[in-house]
Amino acid sequence: MIYLQGIKKSFNQLPVLKGINLKIEKGEVVTILGPSGSGKTTLLRCLNFLEKPNAGIVQIGNIIVDSEKATKKEMLAIRKQSAMVFQHYNLFAHKTVVENVMEGLIVAKKVKKKDARHQSERVLEKVGLSDKLHHYPSQLSGGQQQRVGIARALALNPEVILFDEPTSALDPELVGDVLSVIKSIAQEGITMVVVTHEMSFAREVSNRVLFMDEGVIVEEGTPLEIFHAAKEERTRRFLQRISGESFFTPLKEQVN
Amino acid sequence: MGKAFDLMLIIEFIPTLIQYLGITLQILAASIILGLVLGIAAAIPRLYKIPILNQLVILYVSFIRGTPILIQLFLVFYGLPAILLLLFSIDITRMEAIYFVIITYAISNGAGFSEIFRAAIRAVDYGQTEAAFSVGMTSRQNFFRIVLPQAVRIAFPNMANSVIGSLKDTSLAFTIGVMDMMGRGDTLIAATAHALEVYLSLSIIYYIIVVMFEKIFSKLEKYFNRYQKADVTAVA
Ligand SMILES: Nc1ncnc2c1ncn2[C@@H]1O[C@H](COP(=O)(O)OP(=O)(O)OP(=O)(O)O)[C@@H](O)[C@H]1O
Ligand SMILES: [Mg+2]
Repeated sequence: MIYLQGIKKSFNQLPVLKGINLKIEKGEVVTILGPSGSGKTTLLRCLNFLEKPNAGIVQIGNIIVDSEKATKKEMLAIRKQSAMVFQHYNLFAHKTVVENVMEGLIVAKKVKKKDARHQSERVLEKVGLSDKLHHYPSQLSGGQQQRVGIARALALNPEVILFDEPTSALDPELVGDVLSVIKSIAQEGITMVVVTHEMSFAREVSNRVLFMDEGVIVEEGTPLEIFHAAKEERTRRFLQRISGESFFTPLKEQVN
Repeated sequence: MGKAFDLMLIIEFIPTLIQYLGITLQILAASIILGLVLGIAAAIPRLYKIPILNQLVILYVSFIRGTPILIQLFLVFYGLPAILLLLFSIDITRMEAIYFVIITYAISNGAGFSEIFRAAIRAVDYGQTEAAFSVGMTSRQNFFRIVLPQAVRIAFPNMANSVIGSLKDTSLAFTIGVMDMMGRGDTLIAATAHALEVYLSLSIIYYIIVVMFEKIFSKLEKYFNRYQKADVTAVA
């Protein structure tokens, strides 16, 4: 279970998160939507203290940290409750695929090397990379790299996996593969928080959708509620704009 | 000037001179190892922006870069005994000249290495550090397991250049009386008056050693680069 209370974060006096309260149950898949700059990434990074909130309480599982007084030790403890999948994969470039997955198991979880290898190979099979175990990240496509990123997170068996736009750096034809991997692990009952611009994914996979704007959670509800009966004007306008754009986005992504 | 040029002497001198290669390599090895330690120590205040120490390191590096190594050698040779005598009443005037050479080259290498390390560590993509934190690694684990191995690869070509430069610089050690290859060459010239032949012999020896170093370094570099993009075809 995840519990956030009064999370605030500013960058150089600019408030980016203005007091976020949130509760996520075990096994829930929560997607976060919102315009660029609304603080989605920052919120996700506050969950594992890659950004240290200026104020507020973060609880994941049985670890509770008051961010104002957070010590290094507490930050490490709460990081071990979660794992993250990054937009740009952030794989360890000098390690092979299987070593990337093993690293956290060996170093942070103190699993024996042999066991870590077995576990990692099993997880990599799940994401369809059994034939790439000994490749380096530079030898993989973006989609394959991201699946390694997912395997690295999954292998840790964390309370929650945090995804920050896991498909937005991918070529359009590779998005489907990665999304289907994420879908399949969502169905295993792993708690997930996913920041995404993939509306179909949010609609089909998540139990709950949050809409963020200007550092606050404007509205939350089931996909049905948010996509078909949003209460807030800001949410409706955002969704309208997104669906209007969606025809052009593949083109735009290619240009980028 | 010397006697008439004799081609055969070049070959004849080589065995005599090469006996002193050991001294040259000793100076090189000792000054590189000490330079590495000093370089790491000097890189830390720069990376972590430790006040005062940071400025001191900047001054140290720019001084070493801005002055000829020969002058640094004389500064250490004449200056170090004077300072130690003045401040701690330690008399090192009888210390063998080779130690002054090693100290000078270590100080000089340390400055160069610290800049190379700093740049290399900065060059490792910070996203990987964040990934290391996200899987529950500490800063120390991240540094030694993720950042350092990649920084070594990035630093390696520059380090290799430094080592080769340093090897050539050791040829100045004879100016304070060290009996290395150059020093022996000096005495050979005095004894035979065949200066050109001696210098040609020396240049042949230095050249062969440098080429050998380059060969070894390029092999090592290939190994360090095994996970880089260019290698795709080799493994696939
Ligand atoms: N490290 C930082 N230093 C300064 N400002 C930052 C930093 N990280 C984020 N910001 C600012 O905080 C605001 C929110 O950024 P954030 O990345 O959380 O938005 P986002 O909702 O994830 O946007 P996007 O959809 O574009 O990814 C932006 O105005 C951004 O410029
Ligand atoms: Mg973002």
